[in-house]
Amino acid sequence: MTLKQSLHSIWNVAKREIHRLTSKPIYFFCMLIAPVLCVVFFLSLMQEGLPTNLPIAVVDMDGSATSRNLIRQLDAFEQTEVVYKTATFDDARREMQKGNVYGIFYIPKDFAVEATTGKQPTLSFYTNGTYLIAASLLFRDMKTMSVLAGASVGLQTGLAKGYTTDQIMGQLQPVVVDTHALGNPWLNYSVYLNNTILPGVLQLMIFLVTVFSIGTELKYSTARQWLQTGGNSFTLSLLGKLLPQTVIFTVIALLCCSALYGFNAFPLNSGWMPMIVALFLLVIASQAVGVFMIGVLPTLRLGLSFASLFGMIAFSIVGFSFPVLGMDPILQALSTLFPLRHYFLIYVDQALNGRELFYSWTEYAWLIGFLILPFLIGKHLKNALLYFKYIP
Amino acid sequence: MKREHRLRYIIKEGIQDTFFIWKDELKNVFKDSGVMIFFFLVPFVYPLLYAFIYNNEVVHNAKMVVVDQSDSYLSREYIRKVDATADVKVVAVCADMEEAKRMLDEKKAYGILYFPSEFSKNIHKGKQATVSLYCDMSALLFYKAFLLATTEVSLEIGKELRAQNNPSSTIEQEKITINPIPYESVALFNSQNGFASFLVPAILILVIQQTLILGIGMLGGTAREKNRFHCLVPISRHFNGTLRIVFGKSLTYILLYVVVCIWALAVVPKLFSLPQVGEPWTVMLFILPYLFASIFLSMTLSGFMTSRESPMLVFVFTSVILLFISGVSWPKEAIPPFWKAVGYLFPSTPGIQGFIRINTAGATLNEVAHEYHTLWIQAGVYFITACMIYRYQIMRSRKLIIKQYRYMKMQRMMHR
Repeated sequence: MTLKQSLHSIWNVAKREIHRLTSKPIYFFCMLIAPVLCVVFFLSLMQEGLPTNLPIAVVDMDGSATSRNLIRQLDAFEQTEVVYKTATFDDARREMQKGNVYGIFYIPKDFAVEATTGKQPTLSFYTNGTYLIAASLLFRDMKTMSVLAGASVGLQTGLAKGYTTDQIMGQLQPVVVDTHALGNPWLNYSVYLNNTILPGVLQLMIFLVTVFSIGTELKYSTARQWLQTGGNSFTLSLLGKLLPQTVIFTVIALLCCSALYGFNAFPLNSGWMPMIVALFLLVIASQAVGVFMIGVLPTLRLGLSFASLFGMIAFSIVGFSFPVLGMDPILQALSTLFPLRHYFLIYVDQALNGRELFYSWTEYAWLIGFLILPFLIGKHLKNALLYFKYIP
Repeated sequence: MKREHRLRYIIKEGIQDTFFIWKDELKNVFKDSGVMIFFFLVPFVYPLLYAFIYNNEVVHNAKMVVVDQSDSYLSREYIRKVDATADVKVVAVCADMEEAKRMLDEKKAYGILYFPSEFSKNIHKGKQATVSLYCDMSALLFYKAFLLATTEVSLEIGKELRAQNNPSSTIEQEKITINPIPYESVALFNSQNGFASFLVPAILILVIQQTLILGIGMLGGTAREKNRFHCLVPISRHFNGTLRIVFGKSLTYILLYVVVCIWALAVVPKLFSLPQVGEPWTVMLFILPYLFASIFLSMTLSGFMTSRESPMLVFVFTSVILLFISGVSWPKEAIPPFWKAVGYLFPSTPGIQGFIRINTAGATLNEVAHEYHTLWIQAGVYFITACMIYRYQIMRSRKLIIKQYRYMKMQRMMHR
C-alpha cells in the first residue's frame, strides 16, 4: 500500500468514526459534558483556595475579660470562627459529634489570674481528626493563638522587669522556623488537588471512551465493516478510529489547561509548552492503555469494568494526596503503570517547581512508552475483531 | 364480584408475584458476570485495595537535606534531633543552597533546612534565631511532616537553652518568664491524624452506593436490550403491578447488600484496624435507610439506561465529585450553596457524614439526626420515583403489546 492509499484509508475510517461519535449522545456526554462538569465543579468548589471560617467551640471555664479577649482574637483568624461557647467540655464534644464544630479550644478555670501570677495555666485544644483538612487548618490557628497568648503574657511580665522586646522574644522563643512552601506559598488546596484531579478525570474518560468505541464494534458485529473501511489494515483502522478522539480529547485537555493556568492563574513556572506537551502525551498514552484494556478483555462490559476500576484507582495511587513514597513497595511499583502518575511527576517538576526539562525527561519518555501497549496486544485484538462472537 | 377483584386475592397474588420477581431478579444477578463484578468483586476488592494504599496512615522518614552555614554545636544538635523524629530523615548535609536545590530537583529529598551563619551567634547573644525551611509542595503530607518536626525540635532546643541561660534565678522564677502559658493539643477520634482512618470509611460508604447504581443500572440496561420492545418490564403475568416489581427487586438487592455491608463496614475496618468506635446497632440502624435510599435511587436511574454499558460511562466519574461534595475532605462549611444543594440529591452525602461520625467519632443516632432524617426522606422520595418509572414502563410495554397485536391482526386480515 502506498502512503497515499494509507492516508486515504485512515481518512475514511476517521470519517466513519466522526459519524459514529456524533450519532450517539453518550459520546457527547463522556467526551465533553463530564470533563467540563468536573472542571467547573472542582474549580468552583475550591475557589477560595483555603476553607475559611471553620467552626470551633470554645469551652471558657474562666469567663474573665482576658479569656473573652482571647476568644475574640481567635475568632479573628481567617480560618477560624467561634460558633459555640459553653462551660462544659461534654457539650462541646457533642457539638463535634454532631458535625457542627471541628475543633474545641479549652480555657481552664482561673486562667487570667494564674497567667499573671505565674502559675502556668495550660491551654488545651482539640481537633477532630476525622476531618483531616479542617483539623489541620484549625490546629494551625489554635496553636498560633496559644503561642501568641503565651508571648503576650511573657512580654508584659518581661517589659515590667525592664527587658527589651528583642531580649524577651529571644527568651520566649529562641528558635523560630521560617517556612517557605515552594511553588505554592499560599498552601492553596485548589492548586494542590485540581492540578491532578482534573487530568485524572480526563484519563478516566479517555479509558472509557476508547474501550467503548472499540468494544461496541465487537458487540454490534460491525468490526469487519470497520476493518474493511480501513483497507483491511488493523493498524490503519485503529489509527483512523482513534484520531478524531485524540483531537477532541486534546482540545478538552487544552481547555482544562487554560482553566488551570490561564483563568485561575495557578503556578506555571515552566511556561506553557512543557505542560501542553505533557497533557497531549497523557491523552495519547491513556488511549494506548484503553486499547490495551479492550485487547486484553475483548468484551465490552469486561473491558469497561477494567477501565472503570483502573481509572478510579489512579486517583489514589498517583500519590498527590498520600505520597507514593509512603506506600507499600508493591504499590510504588504498580503506580508506574498509570499514565497519570507520570503526568503528575512532570507537573511537579515543571509547572509547580519550574525545574530544568532534564529532570523530567524520563517521565515524558514513560508517557511515550505507553504507546507500545497497542502493539503488544494488537494481534490478539485483531483476532477478536475478526473472529470473536459477542456473548451478552 | 369476580375473583380477581377481591382485595384478599390481589394481596395474595401480589405477594406471590413479589417473591417470583425476587427470585427472577436473583437469577438475573447471578447469571450476569458484569453485574457480579459490581455487586461482589468491587465491594470485595476495592475496600481492601484502598485500605492497602493508605495503610501506612502517616508519612515516616520524609527525606530532608540540610545546609548548615552556622556549623556550630547548636545547629548540629538541631539536625540530630530532627533526624531522630519518626517523621523526618536527614539524608544529606549540603555545602550550599545550590547543591541542596539540586537534591530537590533530583527528587533525592523533599525539603531543605537552612541554618544561617549567625544562627548560633544570635542564640548566644540572647536574640531570636531563625532557621529556614523550604518544602517541595508536591505532597502536603511531606510539608506537614517537616513543619511538625522542626517546630517540635525548635521548642525542645528552646527549652534546653532557657534552662542553661538562667542559671542564677530559682527554677520557679525561670519557668515564669520562659513559658507563661503552656499548651497541649489533642487529636480526637483519629489520634495519629492518619490518612486511612480519615478517608477509607468515606470510600467504603461511597462504594456501596456507586456499585448499586452501576449494578442495578446494568441490570436495567440488560433487561431493555433483551426486551423485544426495549422496555424495562418483561411481558409476563407476574410483572403486572408496580409495587410488586419495586418490592420484589429491592428485596433482592437488600439481601445481597446485607452481605456486602457486613464485609465492607465490619470486616474490612477490623482487618486494617481502622477506627471503629460506633455502636453496631447504631451503625445498622443508620445503614438501613442508606441502603433503601441508594437502591431506590439506583432503580430510578436504571429507568434511563438504554444499554447495559451506559451506567459505567455515565456514573463512574461521579464518584470523584460525590466524595468531595460529601464534605469529608473539603469541609461542608466551605462548599458553595449550589453544590451543597446538589449534594443533597445523593444518599452518599448524608451517608458519609453520618457514618464517619458514628463509626469514627462515636456519635449516636441523636447526633446524626439530621443526616438520618435526610436519608429516610431520600428513601421515600426515591421510592416514589422508582414506582413512577416502573409504572410508566408497565404502561409503555402494554401499549406496545397492544400496538403489536393490532398490527399483526391487520396483517392477517390483509393476507386473507
